[in-house]
Amino acid sequence: MTDTETRAERVVAAPDVPRPRRRRPGGGPRAGTIAAFVTPFFLPFVLFYLVPVGYALWQSFRVVRRTGGQYGTSYTTFGGFHQYGQVLQNSEFWSSIGRIGLFGVVQVPVMLFVALIMALLLDTPLLKAKAFFRISAFMPYAVPGVIAAIMWSYLYSPQLSPVVDLLGHLGLHPDFLGPSAVLWSTANVSTWLWTGYNMLIMFSALQAIPQELYEAAKLDGASNWAIAWRIKVPIIAPSIVLTTVFSIIGTLQLYAEPAVLRQISSNISSTFTPNMLAYAVASGNNYQQAAAISVVIALITFVLSFGFMRLTSKRAGL
Amino acid sequence: MRNTASHVRLAAALTAAASVAVLAGCSSSSGHSGSSVAAASCAPAKGKVTLQYWNTVPGMDQVVALWNKQNPDIQVRTKNISNDQYGTLGNALKAGSAPDLAQVGYDELPNLRTQNAFVDASQCSAATAARSKFVPWTWSQASFGNTGVFAFPQDTGPMALFVRSDIFAKYHLPVPKTWDEYASDAQKLHTADKNLSMTFFDPNNAEWFNGLLWQNSAKMYGYSDDKWQVTVDSVQSRQVADYWQKLIDAKEVRTDLANGSTQMYAAYQKDQIASYVGAAWGYSMFRDNLPSQAGKWSIVPMPTWSTSAASGDWGGSTVAFMKGSKHLYESVKFNTWLNTDPQALALENKLGGLYPAATAGLQLPALSQGVPYYNNEKIFDVFAQSSKDIDTSFAWGPTQKTVNLSLQDAMAKAAAGNGALTGALSTAQATALKSMKDLAIPAEAGK
Repeated sequence: MTDTETRAERVVAAPDVPRPRRRRPGGGPRAGTIAAFVTPFFLPFVLFYLVPVGYALWQSFRVVRRTGGQYGTSYTTFGGFHQYGQVLQNSEFWSSIGRIGLFGVVQVPVMLFVALIMALLLDTPLLKAKAFFRISAFMPYAVPGVIAAIMWSYLYSPQLSPVVDLLGHLGLHPDFLGPSAVLWSTANVSTWLWTGYNMLIMFSALQAIPQELYEAAKLDGASNWAIAWRIKVPIIAPSIVLTTVFSIIGTLQLYAEPAVLRQISSNISSTFTPNMLAYAVASGNNYQQAAAISVVIALITFVLSFGFMRLTSKRAGL
Repeated sequence: MRNTASHVRLAAALTAAASVAVLAGCSSSSGHSGSSVAAASCAPAKGKVTLQYWNTVPGMDQVVALWNKQNPDIQVRTKNISNDQYGTLGNALKAGSAPDLAQVGYDELPNLRTQNAFVDASQCSAATAARSKFVPWTWSQASFGNTGVFAFPQDTGPMALFVRSDIFAKYHLPVPKTWDEYASDAQKLHTADKNLSMTFFDPNNAEWFNGLLWQNSAKMYGYSDDKWQVTVDSVQSRQVADYWQKLIDAKEVRTDLANGSTQMYAAYQKDQIASYVGAAWGYSMFRDNLPSQAGKWSIVPMPTWSTSAASGDWGGSTVAFMKGSKHLYESVKFNTWLNTDPQALALENKLGGLYPAATAGLQLPALSQGVPYYNNEKIFDVFAQSSKDIDTSFAWGPTQKTVNLSLQDAMAKAAAGNGALTGALSTAQATALKSMKDLAIPAEAGK
């Protein structure tokens, strides 16, 4: 920064530098140019990002009032933190947070560990047919979440699944959709969907490591194993942190997979995840409380992602 | 005014601050827009009129095409909103762009009325005169107990018992007349073969369970002392819940199947289930999904709690007069034709499988013949009788969808062995009171 500034000052100070002729006083055209370039981004950003966020915030401070009769006429008025109080007292909300917390604590490390192993394997010279493995690992990411959940729902379903059928012949009768298993069946769908994506982020970070580092390590007598754990993993640590943050956000916003599995399993309630709860409340016309739930989810997501980033950056010195 | 000014500012400044100003502008105006109920006039329009009709019925565009051909001056445009029926309607109402007419289920009528969704068509004499043309309970719900004309009934789902005659014959089970007999059949069947179940209980289907409550005269809502009286948890509803709890505990009915799912058809296909507690529109489900079981099914009246006839309804909907319609006269005219004209009703029955709410519809040729899949039995006679036996005083609540979701979640827990179905009723009762309080609808626990 300082370097460029001083250089710029020097340029301006130099008397013999020719100034652009057609420049109007006040720098008008330049501002216009900036606006022309920036507007295509900012207009949708404001309309479809800031406005809805602001609208949700505004709604979350409103309460419904009604005048007259059995059906009455409703209007909204300022209600302070009333909706937030309702959310914090809602036991369904806390159970959904607890459920998703358990989900994240197990699913995120498992998925990222598998992704890391796959990325490291793809990066070794030992593996043949790399392009094939890379594409096939990434393939599930190309499948929309809803479709993936529908596919898996057929594999879980006792009436239709070849897997359940096969296990039945072996004397095993797993209930993938039962009250205790259904959370992990959902986690499995998410893992299947996202492992390849996370693997690819880590793999591209590995590709950016200069080969000289490996040569130097080899000269020092490091094994492939040591190169992987002592050199590759520490260098791609920022990518691992990034994928973890993405996964935390994804977990808190979990919706499509459980919503689809709910069609065939009554063990997924309408308030299974925080987002499902927000949707259920909104579909019951209580938009103000749904807005407050959304804001609280956003705050929790914010605290967790930034908290994790701070924690890891201190530890790893990133 | 403020709205437009802010939009200009927004385009110019591109700042978050401006967008907040827009919010304040838009939202406060929409917050009050619902407060005035326009007095509906029934004057015919001069010249050609175009009506919007949003619906969820397969083939409805063809029915409307027939009307459009015969009525060049009242053209109707249809839009299928079955993807997200009430979300679409709710958003359109908020945006002030609701159609003239819309498909609304009976159980959603009170909820939409609390959102000022409807216009009272009773200014039109043709609307009030339509009363005699519909099955009494349907008119009672669409007119909110004869306090206006907010919708015309379209179709219904009078309930009956679908029976696998071959399985019943094989295990010498008598066709049940009462729920007690049904339970004893269920026990016999399950004792004879552990892999067989009498039916399935779908915990995620409150609409179905509500039909059973309705049959037992379990009135869920009333209105007196300027308050909604909530009686979701009542002696009658507990009787129904207790009954199914016993069947579930004895594992004589299954709880792992969702109604209409591929899994459900697979279970029937594998001869694992002997009966189905269903509605009139369900006759085509089995015919179309289990063609190999033609001739094996029979339809009989739903078992009763006492010796007197009583039935319930599951599903069906109305075509509502939506607020903001500028052509009430023409809307009434089209709506009357759509739901009482024999030609229209026949087409809706053929294309959309609708079982008509109009009394004249019950005599349609297609509904008075034997149905080949059901051994040429006149199954619609059973549904017509069922329709007559439905309690006309049953009413839905203004937060029915929220209550249904809560009931389902609690019933699912009970079916998984965590609590009982009667507990689900008290959960639903509490949810009803809480959700109405949240929306400032005066309510108390009824006696």
